[in-house]
Amino acid sequence: MLEASSLTLAYDGGPVIEALDLSLPGDKVTAIIGPNGCGKSTLLKALARILPVQSGRITLDGEDMGHMPPRALARRLAILPQAPRAPEGIRVADLVRRGRLPWRGLLSPWREEDRAACDGALAAVGMTELAHRDLAELSGGQRQRAWLALVLAQGTPWLLLDEPTTYLDLTHQMEVLGLLRRLNRQSGTAVVSVLHDLNLAARYSDHLVLLGKNGLIAAGAPETVLTPEHLGAAFGLRARVMPDPVTGTPMVVPLDIPETEVSA
Amino acid sequence: MRGAVLLALLLVLASVAALLHGQIDASPSVLWQGLLTGEGPGALILDTIRGPRVATALGAGAVLGLSGTIFQTLFRNPLAAPDLLGFNAGAGLAIIAGIAFGIALPAPVLAAIGGLAVAVIVGALAWRRGSGTPALTIILVGLGTGFTATALATFLMTLLPGTAAAEAQRWLTGSLAARNWGHAAQVWGAGIALSLLAFSQARPLMAMELGAELATGLGMRAELARWRISGIAVLLAATGVAVAGPVPFVALMAGPFGARMTGARSPAARMAAGAVAGALIVMLADLLARASLPGLQLPVGVATGLLGAPYLLWRLSREMDKGDL
Repeated sequence: MLEASSLTLAYDGGPVIEALDLSLPGDKVTAIIGPNGCGKSTLLKALARILPVQSGRITLDGEDMGHMPPRALARRLAILPQAPRAPEGIRVADLVRRGRLPWRGLLSPWREEDRAACDGALAAVGMTELAHRDLAELSGGQRQRAWLALVLAQGTPWLLLDEPTTYLDLTHQMEVLGLLRRLNRQSGTAVVSVLHDLNLAARYSDHLVLLGKNGLIAAGAPETVLTPEHLGAAFGLRARVMPDPVTGTPMVVPLDIPETEVSA
Repeated sequence: MRGAVLLALLLVLASVAALLHGQIDASPSVLWQGLLTGEGPGALILDTIRGPRVATALGAGAVLGLSGTIFQTLFRNPLAAPDLLGFNAGAGLAIIAGIAFGIALPAPVLAAIGGLAVAVIVGALAWRRGSGTPALTIILVGLGTGFTATALATFLMTLLPGTAAAEAQRWLTGSLAARNWGHAAQVWGAGIALSLLAFSQARPLMAMELGAELATGLGMRAELARWRISGIAVLLAATGVAVAGPVPFVALMAGPFGARMTGARSPAARMAAGAVAGALIVMLADLLARASLPGLQLPVGVATGLLGAPYLLWRLSREMDKGDL
Protein backbone atom coordinates (compact mmCIF):
# COMPACT_ATOMS: atom_id res chain seq x y z
CA MET A 1 0.00 0.00 0.00
CA LEU A 2 1.35 3.39 -1.00
CA GLU A 3 -0.41 6.07 1.00
CA ALA A 4 -0.31 9.83 1.07
CA SER A 5 -1.84 11.75 3.93
CA SER A 6 -2.57 15.49 3.86
CA LEU A 7 0.10 15.76 1.18
CA THR A 8 0.99 19.21 -0.12
CA LEU A 9 3.39 19.59 -3.05
CA ALA A 10 4.72 22.83 -4.47
CA TYR A 11 6.95 24.15 -7.18
CA ASP A 12 8.43 27.67 -7.11
CA GLY A 13 5.15 29.01 -8.45
CA GLY A 14 3.06 27.79 -5.54
CA PRO A 15 1.19 24.69 -4.40
CA VAL A 16 0.31 22.14 -7.08
CA ILE A 17 -1.32 19.58 -4.81
CA GLU A 18 -2.88 20.55 -1.51
CA ALA A 19 -3.82 18.37 1.44
CA LEU A 20 -4.29 15.23 -0.64
CA ASP A 21 -5.23 11.94 0.99
CA LEU A 22 -4.73 8.95 -1.25
CA SER A 23 -4.22 5.26 -0.97
CA LEU A 24 -2.88 3.10 -3.80
CA PRO A 25 -3.35 -0.68 -3.72
CA GLY A 26 -0.18 -2.76 -3.58
CA ASP A 27 -1.29 -5.56 -5.86
CA LYS A 28 -3.02 -3.75 -8.71
CA VAL A 29 -2.51 -1.70 -11.83
CA THR A 30 -3.29 1.94 -11.08
CA ALA A 31 -3.52 4.86 -13.49
CA ILE A 32 -3.43 8.50 -12.44
CA ILE A 33 -5.48 10.58 -14.86
CA GLY A 34 -6.60 14.18 -15.10
CA PRO A 35 -6.26 17.36 -17.16
CA ASN A 36 -2.94 19.04 -17.97
CA GLY A 37 -1.49 20.95 -15.06
CA CYS A 38 -3.49 19.12 -12.39
CA GLY A 39 -0.32 17.76 -10.83
CA LYS A 40 -0.38 14.13 -12.02
CA SER A 41 3.35 13.98 -12.69
CA THR A 42 4.13 16.06 -9.63
CA LEU A 43 2.23 13.58 -7.49
CA LEU A 44 3.99 10.61 -9.07
CA LYS A 45 7.40 12.21 -8.51
CA ALA A 46 6.61 12.84 -4.88
CA LEU A 47 5.43 9.24 -4.46
CA ALA A 48 8.85 8.16 -5.74
CA ARG A 49 10.58 10.78 -3.55
CA ILE A 50 12.11 12.49 -6.60
CA LEU A 51 10.33 15.64 -5.51
CA PRO A 52 10.49 16.83 -1.90
CA VAL A 53 7.24 16.93 0.03
CA GLN A 54 6.11 20.36 1.21
CA SER A 55 4.00 18.96 4.04
CA GLY A 56 2.15 15.78 4.88
CA ARG A 57 3.65 12.35 4.53
CA ILE A 58 3.89 9.31 2.31
CA THR A 59 4.05 5.78 3.65
CA LEU A 60 5.10 2.65 1.79
CA ASP A 61 3.53 -0.45 3.34
CA GLY A 62 3.09 1.50 6.53
CA GLU A 63 6.65 2.85 6.73
CA ASP A 64 7.30 6.57 6.52
CA MET A 65 9.06 7.05 3.19
CA GLY A 66 10.71 10.28 4.28
CA HIS A 67 13.07 8.37 6.55
CA MET A 68 14.02 5.51 4.26
CA PRO A 69 17.65 5.32 3.10
CA PRO A 70 17.72 5.99 -0.69
CA ARG A 71 19.14 2.64 -1.61
CA ALA A 72 16.63 0.73 0.53
CA LEU A 73 13.83 2.66 -1.16
CA ALA A 74 15.29 1.96 -4.61
CA ARG A 75 15.10 -1.75 -3.86
CA ARG A 76 11.38 -1.48 -3.14
CA LEU A 77 10.19 1.14 -5.61
CA ALA A 78 11.36 1.99 -9.12
CA ILE A 79 10.40 5.02 -11.19
CA LEU A 80 10.65 5.63 -14.90
CA PRO A 81 10.53 9.39 -15.53
CA GLN A 82 8.82 10.86 -18.56
CA ALA A 83 10.88 10.80 -21.79
CA PRO A 84 14.23 9.84 -20.21
CA ARG A 85 17.40 10.64 -22.17
CA ALA A 86 20.01 7.96 -22.72
CA PRO A 87 23.78 8.45 -22.81
CA GLU A 88 25.13 8.62 -26.35
CA GLY A 89 26.05 5.29 -27.91
CA ILE A 90 24.68 3.09 -25.11
CA ARG A 91 23.56 -0.48 -25.88
CA VAL A 92 20.28 -1.89 -24.66
CA ALA A 93 21.99 -4.47 -22.43
CA ASP A 94 24.21 -1.80 -20.81
CA LEU A 95 21.21 0.38 -20.12
CA VAL A 96 19.31 -2.48 -18.50
CA ARG A 97 22.30 -3.46 -16.34
CA ARG A 98 22.14 -0.05 -14.71
CA GLY A 99 18.86 -1.10 -13.16
CA ARG A 100 20.93 -3.27 -10.83
CA LEU A 101 22.79 -0.28 -9.34
CA PRO A 102 20.70 -0.22 -6.12
CA TRP A 103 21.74 -3.81 -5.47
CA ARG A 104 25.47 -3.27 -6.00
CA GLY A 105 28.11 -1.58 -3.86
CA LEU A 106 31.00 0.47 -5.18
CA LEU A 107 33.08 -2.62 -5.84
CA SER A 108 30.79 -5.64 -5.61
CA PRO A 109 31.11 -7.86 -8.67
CA TRP A 110 28.40 -8.70 -11.16
CA ARG A 111 26.52 -11.62 -9.64
CA GLU A 112 24.38 -14.42 -10.99
CA GLU A 113 21.22 -12.80 -9.59
CA ASP A 114 22.07 -9.53 -11.38
CA ARG A 115 22.43 -11.38 -14.66
CA ALA A 116 19.21 -13.29 -14.09
CA ALA A 117 17.33 -10.07 -13.28
CA CYS A 118 18.55 -8.41 -16.49
CA ASP A 119 17.83 -11.46 -18.65
CA GLY A 120 14.37 -11.71 -17.11
CA ALA A 121 13.68 -8.02 -17.68
CA LEU A 122 14.80 -8.18 -21.32
CA ALA A 123 12.68 -11.27 -21.89
CA ALA A 124 9.64 -9.68 -20.22
CA VAL A 125 9.70 -6.79 -22.67
CA GLY A 126 10.62 -9.01 -25.62
CA MET A 127 13.99 -7.35 -26.18
CA THR A 128 16.32 -10.32 -25.71
CA GLU A 129 17.15 -10.35 -29.41
CA LEU A 130 17.90 -6.63 -29.45
CA ALA A 131 20.04 -6.57 -26.29
CA HIS A 132 23.25 -5.84 -28.16
CA ARG A 133 21.89 -3.11 -30.37
CA ASP A 134 22.55 0.58 -29.89
CA LEU A 135 19.55 2.17 -28.23
CA ALA A 136 19.67 5.08 -30.69
CA GLU A 137 19.14 2.69 -33.64
CA LEU A 138 15.83 1.40 -32.31
CA SER A 139 12.26 2.55 -32.95
CA GLY A 140 10.38 4.61 -30.36
CA GLY A 141 8.41 1.60 -29.13
CA GLN A 142 11.53 -0.53 -28.79
CA ARG A 143 13.35 2.24 -26.95
CA GLN A 144 10.51 2.58 -24.48
CA ARG A 145 10.59 -1.17 -23.89
CA ALA A 146 14.34 -0.94 -23.21
CA TRP A 147 13.71 1.74 -20.57
CA LEU A 148 11.00 -0.46 -19.08
CA ALA A 149 13.50 -3.31 -18.89
CA LEU A 150 15.84 -1.01 -16.94
CA VAL A 151 13.28 -0.42 -14.18
CA LEU A 152 12.15 -4.07 -14.31
CA ALA A 153 15.73 -5.19 -13.73
CA GLN A 154 15.62 -3.12 -10.56
CA GLY A 155 13.39 -5.93 -9.26
CA THR A 156 11.11 -3.83 -7.08
CA PRO A 157 7.61 -4.71 -5.84
CA TRP A 158 6.50 -1.18 -6.85
CA LEU A 159 6.84 0.30 -10.30
CA LEU A 160 5.95 3.95 -11.01
CA LEU A 161 5.84 5.29 -14.58
CA ASP A 162 5.37 8.87 -15.74
CA GLU A 163 3.46 8.81 -19.03
CA PRO A 164 5.06 5.61 -20.32
CA THR A 165 3.08 5.86 -23.55
CA THR A 166 3.99 9.39 -24.67
CA TYR A 167 5.34 9.66 -28.22
CA LEU A 168 4.12 6.14 -29.02
CA ASP A 169 1.51 5.28 -31.61
CA LEU A 170 -1.64 3.48 -30.50
CA THR A 171 -0.36 -0.05 -31.16
CA HIS A 172 2.77 0.55 -29.14
CA GLN A 173 0.81 2.25 -26.38
CA MET A 174 -1.33 -0.85 -26.03
CA GLU A 175 1.74 -3.05 -26.17
CA VAL A 176 3.36 -1.18 -23.27
CA LEU A 177 0.17 -1.11 -21.18
CA GLY A 178 -0.50 -4.79 -21.87
CA LEU A 179 3.02 -5.60 -20.82
CA LEU A 180 2.62 -3.72 -17.54
CA ARG A 181 -0.62 -5.52 -16.78
CA ARG A 182 0.93 -8.89 -17.57
CA LEU A 183 3.79 -8.05 -15.24
CA ASN A 184 1.29 -7.28 -12.50
CA ARG A 185 -0.64 -10.49 -13.03
CA GLN A 186 2.44 -12.70 -13.28
CA SER A 187 4.71 -11.32 -10.59
CA GLY A 188 2.37 -9.23 -8.46
CA THR A 189 4.26 -6.00 -9.14
CA ALA A 190 2.19 -2.96 -8.20
CA VAL A 191 2.12 -0.67 -11.23
CA VAL A 192 1.25 3.04 -11.00
CA SER A 193 1.27 5.07 -14.23
CA VAL A 194 0.37 8.59 -15.19
CA LEU A 195 -1.70 8.28 -18.35
CA HIS A 196 -3.38 10.66 -20.76
CA ASP A 197 -5.79 8.42 -22.64
CA LEU A 198 -8.87 7.80 -20.49
CA ASN A 199 -10.15 4.82 -22.45
CA LEU A 200 -6.81 3.03 -22.43
CA ALA A 201 -6.45 3.82 -18.73
CA ALA A 202 -9.86 2.25 -18.07
CA ARG A 203 -9.07 -0.74 -20.20
CA TYR A 204 -5.72 -1.62 -18.66
CA SER A 205 -6.12 -0.54 -15.02
CA ASP A 206 -7.79 -1.99 -11.97
CA HIS A 207 -7.75 1.27 -10.10
CA LEU A 208 -8.05 4.86 -11.31
CA VAL A 209 -7.11 8.09 -9.58
CA LEU A 210 -8.81 11.09 -11.18
CA LEU A 211 -7.33 14.47 -10.33
CA GLY A 212 -8.86 17.85 -11.17
CA LYS A 213 -7.49 21.37 -10.92
CA ASN A 214 -8.46 21.45 -7.25
CA GLY A 215 -7.32 18.06 -6.15
CA LEU A 216 -8.73 14.56 -6.02
CA ILE A 217 -12.06 14.03 -7.78
CA ALA A 218 -12.45 10.28 -7.43
CA ALA A 219 -10.46 7.10 -6.91
CA GLY A 220 -11.46 3.49 -7.27
CA ALA A 221 -12.52 0.98 -9.90
CA PRO A 222 -12.78 2.43 -13.44
CA GLU A 223 -16.60 2.05 -13.45
CA THR A 224 -16.98 4.20 -10.36
CA VAL A 225 -14.43 6.83 -11.37
CA LEU A 226 -15.28 7.42 -15.03
CA THR A 227 -18.76 8.93 -14.71
CA PRO A 228 -20.11 11.96 -16.58
CA GLU A 229 -20.23 13.94 -13.31
CA HIS A 230 -16.61 13.24 -12.47
CA LEU A 231 -15.46 13.99 -16.03
CA GLY A 232 -17.30 17.27 -15.93
CA ALA A 233 -15.70 18.18 -12.62
CA ALA A 234 -12.17 17.20 -13.72
CA PHE A 235 -12.02 18.26 -17.36
CA GLY A 236 -15.03 20.54 -17.76
CA LEU A 237 -16.02 17.97 -20.38
CA ARG A 238 -19.51 16.87 -21.27
CA ALA A 239 -19.38 13.21 -22.14
CA ARG A 240 -21.31 10.00 -22.23
CA VAL A 241 -19.80 6.92 -20.70
CA MET A 242 -20.71 3.56 -22.19
CA PRO A 243 -19.26 0.07 -22.01
CA ASP A 244 -16.34 -0.50 -24.37
CA PRO A 245 -17.74 -2.89 -27.02
CA VAL A 246 -14.54 -4.95 -26.90
CA THR A 247 -13.73 -5.21 -23.20
CA GLY A 248 -16.82 -3.91 -21.41
CA THR A 249 -14.74 -1.38 -19.46
CA PRO A 250 -16.03 2.19 -19.33
CA MET A 251 -15.50 4.18 -22.50
CA VAL A 252 -15.66 7.95 -22.60
CA VAL A 253 -17.37 9.47 -25.62
CA PRO A 254 -17.17 13.27 -25.49
CA LEU A 255 -20.13 15.33 -26.60
CA ASP A 256 -19.55 18.12 -29.07
CA ILE A 257 -18.33 21.36 -27.63
CA PRO A 258 -20.81 24.04 -28.80
CA GLU A 259 -19.34 26.51 -31.35
CA THR A 260 -19.96 29.45 -29.05
CA GLU A 261 -17.74 27.99 -26.36
CA VAL A 262 -14.95 27.22 -28.83
CA SER A 263 -14.78 30.74 -30.14
CA ALA A 264 -15.02 32.19 -26.65
CA MET B 1 40.23 -2.44 -28.42
CA ARG B 2 42.27 -1.68 -31.52
CA GLY B 3 41.43 1.98 -31.04
CA ALA B 4 42.69 1.93 -27.46
CA VAL B 5 46.00 0.41 -28.55
CA LEU B 6 46.32 2.99 -31.30
CA LEU B 7 45.61 5.84 -28.86
CA ALA B 8 48.26 4.55 -26.43
CA LEU B 9 50.74 4.09 -29.26
CA LEU B 10 50.15 7.64 -30.50
CA LEU B 11 50.81 8.91 -27.00
CA VAL B 12 54.13 7.04 -26.79
CA LEU B 13 55.18 8.30 -30.24
CA ALA B 14 54.23 11.89 -29.40
CA SER B 15 56.14 11.69 -26.12
CA VAL B 16 59.27 10.38 -27.83
CA ALA B 17 58.97 13.05 -30.52
CA ALA B 18 58.66 15.68 -27.81
CA LEU B 19 61.85 14.40 -26.22
CA LEU B 20 63.72 14.43 -29.53
CA HIS B 21 62.57 17.74 -30.85
CA GLY B 22 63.49 21.14 -29.51
CA GLN B 23 65.77 24.09 -30.02
CA ILE B 24 68.51 21.53 -30.52
CA ASP B 25 67.21 18.31 -32.05
CA ALA B 26 68.53 15.12 -30.56
CA SER B 27 68.80 11.86 -32.46
CA PRO B 28 67.19 8.74 -31.02
CA SER B 29 70.61 7.17 -30.54
CA VAL B 30 71.88 10.09 -28.48
CA LEU B 31 68.76 9.83 -26.30
CA TRP B 32 69.18 6.07 -26.00
CA GLN B 33 72.83 6.53 -24.98
CA GLY B 34 71.79 9.02 -22.37
CA LEU B 35 69.11 6.70 -21.01
CA LEU B 36 71.53 3.76 -20.74
CA THR B 37 74.64 5.52 -19.44
CA GLY B 38 73.17 8.52 -17.64
CA GLU B 39 75.81 10.69 -19.28
CA GLY B 40 76.23 12.96 -22.29
CA PRO B 41 73.75 15.28 -24.06
CA GLY B 42 71.04 12.58 -24.12
CA ALA B 43 71.07 12.35 -20.34
CA LEU B 44 70.98 16.14 -20.04
CA ILE B 45 67.89 16.28 -22.26
CA LEU B 46 66.12 13.49 -20.39
CA ASP B 47 67.11 14.71 -16.94
CA THR B 48 66.81 18.44 -17.12
CA ILE B 49 65.72 19.95 -20.39
CA ARG B 50 62.85 17.95 -21.85
CA GLY B 51 62.22 15.01 -19.51
CA PRO B 52 60.42 16.97 -16.79
CA ARG B 53 58.53 18.98 -19.39
CA VAL B 54 57.22 15.86 -21.11
CA ALA B 55 56.34 14.21 -17.79
CA THR B 56 54.53 17.35 -16.65
CA ALA B 57 52.70 17.64 -19.97
CA LEU B 58 51.54 14.01 -19.75
CA GLY B 59 50.28 14.46 -16.20
CA ALA B 60 48.61 17.82 -16.79
CA GLY B 61 46.95 16.62 -19.99
CA ALA B 62 45.69 13.47 -18.31
CA VAL B 63 44.12 15.23 -15.29
CA LEU B 64 42.54 17.89 -17.51
CA GLY B 65 41.18 15.24 -19.89
CA LEU B 66 39.85 13.15 -17.01
CA SER B 67 38.23 16.19 -15.40
CA GLY B 68 36.52 17.19 -18.65
CA THR B 69 35.23 13.67 -19.28
CA ILE B 70 33.76 13.51 -15.76
CA PHE B 71 31.95 16.84 -16.15
CA GLN B 72 30.64 15.91 -19.60
CA THR B 73 29.29 12.62 -18.25
CA LEU B 74 27.86 14.16 -15.08
CA PHE B 75 26.08 17.00 -16.87
CA ARG B 76 25.31 14.91 -19.98
CA ASN B 77 26.59 17.68 -22.18
CA PRO B 78 29.71 17.73 -24.38
CA LEU B 79 30.12 21.44 -23.65
CA ALA B 80 30.46 20.88 -19.90
CA ALA B 81 34.20 21.07 -19.25
CA PRO B 82 36.15 22.87 -16.52
CA ASP B 83 37.54 25.38 -19.03
CA LEU B 84 34.10 26.46 -20.28
CA LEU B 85 32.63 26.19 -16.77
CA GLY B 86 35.16 28.75 -15.55
CA PHE B 87 36.88 26.47 -13.02
CA ASN B 88 40.27 26.65 -14.78
CA ALA B 89 40.05 30.43 -14.88
CA GLY B 90 39.28 30.42 -11.15
CA ALA B 91 42.31 28.26 -10.46
CA GLY B 92 44.41 30.61 -12.61
CA LEU B 93 43.12 33.70 -10.83
CA ALA B 94 43.97 32.22 -7.42
CA ILE B 95 47.56 31.56 -8.48
CA ILE B 96 48.01 35.07 -9.92
CA ALA B 97 46.48 36.49 -6.74
CA GLY B 98 48.94 34.39 -4.77
CA ILE B 99 51.84 35.96 -6.66
CA ALA B 100 50.42 39.49 -6.54
CA PHE B 101 49.70 39.47 -2.82
CA GLY B 102 52.61 37.26 -1.84
CA ILE B 103 50.46 34.49 -0.38
CA ALA B 104 52.82 31.73 0.70
CA LEU B 105 50.71 28.74 -0.31
CA PRO B 106 51.81 26.11 -2.83
CA ALA B 107 50.42 26.61 -6.34
CA PRO B 108 48.24 23.45 -6.33
CA VAL B 109 46.57 24.51 -3.08
CA LEU B 110 45.88 27.97 -4.46
CA ALA B 111 44.58 26.48 -7.71
CA ALA B 112 42.32 24.08 -5.81
CA ILE B 113 40.92 26.93 -3.69
CA GLY B 114 40.31 29.08 -6.78
CA GLY B 115 38.69 26.26 -8.76
CA LEU B 116 36.45 25.18 -5.89
CA ALA B 117 35.47 28.79 -5.13
CA VAL B 118 34.32 29.31 -8.72
CA ALA B 119 32.50 25.95 -8.64
CA VAL B 120 30.59 27.01 -5.53
CA ILE B 121 29.79 30.42 -7.06
CA VAL B 122 28.58 28.85 -10.32
CA GLY B 123 26.61 26.22 -8.41
CA ALA B 124 24.97 28.84 -6.19
CA LEU B 125 24.13 31.18 -9.09
CA ALA B 126 22.71 28.40 -11.27
CA TRP B 127 20.99 26.48 -8.45
CA ARG B 128 17.29 25.85 -8.67
CA ARG B 129 14.93 24.03 -6.36
CA GLY B 130 14.51 20.36 -7.14
CA SER B 131 17.95 19.62 -8.66
CA GLY B 132 16.64 20.29 -12.14
CA THR B 133 19.08 22.94 -13.35
CA PRO B 134 19.63 22.43 -17.09
CA ALA B 135 23.27 21.81 -18.03
CA LEU B 136 23.20 24.74 -20.45
CA THR B 137 22.31 27.16 -17.66
CA ILE B 138 25.27 25.95 -15.61
CA ILE B 139 27.57 26.24 -18.61
CA LEU B 140 26.48 29.80 -19.40
CA VAL B 141 26.79 30.87 -15.75
CA GLY B 142 30.23 29.18 -15.73
CA LEU B 143 31.30 31.02 -18.89
CA GLY B 144 30.35 34.35 -17.33
CA THR B 145 32.06 33.58 -14.04
CA GLY B 146 35.15 32.40 -15.92
CA PHE B 147 35.33 35.65 -17.91
CA THR B 148 35.12 37.58 -14.66
CA ALA B 149 37.93 35.52 -13.13
CA THR B 150 40.12 36.02 -16.21
CA ALA B 151 39.48 39.78 -16.19
CA LEU B 152 40.40 39.95 -12.51
CA ALA B 153 43.59 37.98 -13.18
CA THR B 154 44.54 40.38 -15.98
CA PHE B 155 43.90 43.31 -13.66
CA LEU B 156 46.03 41.79 -10.89
CA MET B 157 48.88 41.39 -13.37
CA THR B 158 49.09 45.14 -13.73
CA LEU B 159 50.10 45.25 -10.07
CA LEU B 160 53.12 43.05 -10.76
CA PRO B 161 56.57 44.30 -11.73
CA GLY B 162 57.40 44.01 -15.45
CA THR B 163 59.23 40.68 -15.59
CA ALA B 164 56.88 38.95 -13.18
CA ALA B 165 53.92 40.25 -15.18
CA ALA B 166 55.34 38.83 -18.40
CA GLU B 167 55.93 35.49 -16.72
CA ALA B 168 52.41 35.51 -15.27
CA GLN B 169 50.94 36.40 -18.68
CA ARG B 170 52.76 33.49 -20.28
CA TRP B 171 51.59 31.16 -17.55
CA LEU B 172 47.99 32.33 -17.86
CA THR B 173 48.04 31.36 -21.54
CA GLY B 174 49.03 27.85 -20.51
CA SER B 175 52.71 27.07 -20.59
CA LEU B 176 55.01 24.13 -20.00
CA ALA B 177 58.26 26.13 -20.22
CA ALA B 178 60.89 25.56 -17.52
CA ARG B 179 59.11 22.70 -15.78
CA ASN B 180 61.21 20.64 -13.35
CA TRP B 181 60.74 17.23 -11.76
CA GLY B 182 59.03 18.92 -8.83
CA HIS B 183 56.20 19.96 -11.12
CA ALA B 184 56.01 16.49 -12.62
CA ALA B 185 55.93 14.82 -9.19
CA GLN B 186 53.26 17.26 -8.06
CA VAL B 187 50.86 16.64 -10.95
CA TRP B 188 51.45 12.88 -10.95
CA GLY B 189 51.18 12.48 -7.19
CA ALA B 190 48.01 14.50 -6.77
CA GLY B 191 46.72 13.23 -10.11
CA ILE B 192 46.99 9.56 -9.19
CA ALA B 193 45.36 10.08 -5.79
CA LEU B 194 42.48 12.07 -7.31
CA SER B 195 42.09 9.60 -10.18
CA LEU B 196 41.53 6.78 -7.70
CA LEU B 197 38.79 8.85 -6.10
CA ALA B 198 37.37 9.67 -9.53
CA PHE B 199 37.23 6.04 -10.67
CA SER B 200 35.54 5.09 -7.39
CA GLN B 201 32.67 7.25 -8.66
CA ALA B 202 32.25 5.31 -11.90
CA ARG B 203 29.11 3.52 -10.70
CA PRO B 204 27.42 6.61 -9.29
CA LEU B 205 28.24 8.24 -12.65
CA MET B 206 26.44 5.41 -14.45
CA ALA B 207 23.30 6.44 -12.58
CA MET B 208 23.86 10.22 -12.83
CA GLU B 209 24.33 9.87 -16.56
CA LEU B 210 20.68 8.79 -16.84
CA GLY B 211 19.52 12.11 -15.37
CA ALA B 212 18.97 13.26 -11.80
CA GLU B 213 15.44 11.84 -11.57
CA LEU B 214 16.31 8.33 -12.68
CA ALA B 215 19.50 8.44 -10.59
CA THR B 216 17.38 9.26 -7.54
CA GLY B 217 15.09 6.38 -8.43
CA LEU B 218 18.16 4.13 -8.56
CA GLY B 219 19.01 5.02 -4.98
CA MET B 220 21.39 7.96 -5.41
CA ARG B 221 21.33 11.18 -3.43
CA ALA B 222 21.59 13.00 -6.74
CA GLU B 223 22.28 16.51 -5.46
CA LEU B 224 24.98 15.26 -3.11
CA ALA B 225 26.53 13.05 -5.81
CA ARG B 226 26.63 16.01 -8.19
CA TRP B 227 28.61 18.11 -5.70
CA ARG B 228 30.87 15.26 -4.66
CA ILE B 229 31.78 14.23 -8.21
CA SER B 230 32.10 17.87 -9.33
CA GLY B 231 34.45 18.52 -6.40
CA ILE B 232 36.75 15.69 -7.42
CA ALA B 233 36.73 16.84 -11.04
CA VAL B 234 37.46 20.47 -10.07
CA LEU B 235 40.45 19.31 -8.02
CA LEU B 236 41.71 17.25 -10.95
CA ALA B 237 41.52 20.27 -13.24
CA ALA B 238 43.19 22.48 -10.61
CA THR B 239 46.04 19.99 -10.35
CA GLY B 240 46.66 20.41 -14.07
CA VAL B 241 46.29 24.19 -13.99
CA ALA B 242 48.78 24.45 -11.11
CA VAL B 243 51.62 23.06 -13.23
CA ALA B 244 50.65 24.09 -16.77
CA GLY B 245 48.40 27.12 -16.41
CA PRO B 246 44.77 27.19 -17.53
CA VAL B 247 45.52 25.49 -20.89
CA PRO B 248 42.33 26.05 -22.85
CA PHE B 249 40.14 23.43 -24.56
CA VAL B 250 42.09 20.30 -23.52
CA ALA B 251 39.41 19.25 -21.04
CA LEU B 252 36.73 20.09 -23.58
CA MET B 253 38.18 18.02 -26.43
CA ALA B 254 39.71 15.03 -24.62
CA GLY B 255 36.54 13.14 -23.64
CA PRO B 256 34.80 13.02 -27.03
CA PHE B 257 38.12 12.47 -28.83
CA GLY B 258 39.08 9.58 -26.54
CA ALA B 259 35.65 7.98 -26.74
CA ARG B 260 35.58 8.33 -30.52
CA MET B 261 39.00 6.75 -30.95
CA THR B 262 38.51 3.84 -28.55
CA GLY B 263 34.78 3.24 -28.87
CA ALA B 264 34.56 3.42 -25.06
CA ARG B 265 30.99 3.45 -23.76
CA SER B 266 30.87 3.01 -19.99
CA PRO B 267 31.80 6.00 -17.79
CA ALA B 268 34.93 4.25 -16.47
CA ALA B 269 36.18 3.38 -19.96
CA ARG B 270 35.42 6.88 -21.25
CA MET B 271 37.24 8.40 -18.27
CA ALA B 272 40.34 6.33 -18.98
CA ALA B 273 40.18 7.15 -22.69
CA GLY B 274 39.66 10.85 -21.89
CA ALA B 275 42.73 10.94 -19.64
CA VAL B 276 44.96 9.37 -22.31
CA ALA B 277 43.48 11.62 -25.00
CA GLY B 278 44.09 14.68 -22.81
CA ALA B 279 47.73 13.73 -22.41
CA LEU B 280 48.03 13.20 -26.16
CA ILE B 281 46.42 16.55 -26.99
CA VAL B 282 48.74 18.48 -24.65
CA MET B 283 51.78 16.58 -25.93
CA LEU B 284 50.94 17.26 -29.60
CA ALA B 285 49.99 20.86 -28.90
CA ASP B 286 53.26 21.48 -27.09
CA LEU B 287 55.19 19.94 -29.98
CA LEU B 288 53.26 22.08 -32.43
CA ALA B 289 53.81 25.22 -30.37
CA ARG B 290 57.53 24.62 -30.15
CA ALA B 291 57.99 23.57 -33.77
CA SER B 292 55.73 25.90 -35.71
CA LEU B 293 57.91 29.01 -35.69
CA PRO B 294 61.68 28.41 -35.76
CA GLY B 295 63.47 30.14 -32.92
CA LEU B 296 60.24 31.03 -31.17
CA GLN B 297 58.80 28.93 -28.35
CA LEU B 298 55.07 29.55 -28.22
CA PRO B 299 53.25 28.57 -25.04
CA VAL B 300 51.27 25.33 -25.32
CA GLY B 301 48.03 27.21 -24.62
CA VAL B 302 48.34 29.04 -27.94
CA ALA B 303 48.34 25.74 -29.79
CA THR B 304 45.45 24.19 -27.84
CA GLY B 305 43.58 27.46 -28.39
CA LEU B 306 44.13 27.20 -32.14
CA LEU B 307 43.03 23.55 -32.13
CA GLY B 308 40.21 24.01 -29.66
CA ALA B 309 38.42 27.07 -30.99
CA PRO B 310 37.40 25.45 -34.31
CA TYR B 311 36.42 22.30 -32.39
CA LEU B 312 34.19 24.37 -30.11
CA LEU B 313 32.51 26.01 -33.12
CA TRP B 314 31.96 22.62 -34.76
CA ARG B 315 30.55 21.21 -31.51
CA LEU B 316 28.24 24.19 -31.10
CA SER B 317 26.85 23.78 -34.60
CA ARG B 318 26.33 20.07 -33.98
CA GLU B 319 24.47 20.74 -30.74
CA MET B 320 22.32 23.24 -32.61
CA ASP B 321 21.54 20.63 -35.27
CA LYS B 322 20.53 18.17 -32.57
CA GLY B 323 18.26 20.85 -31.12
CA ASP B 324 20.07 20.90 -27.77
CA LEU B 325 21.08 24.54 -28.18
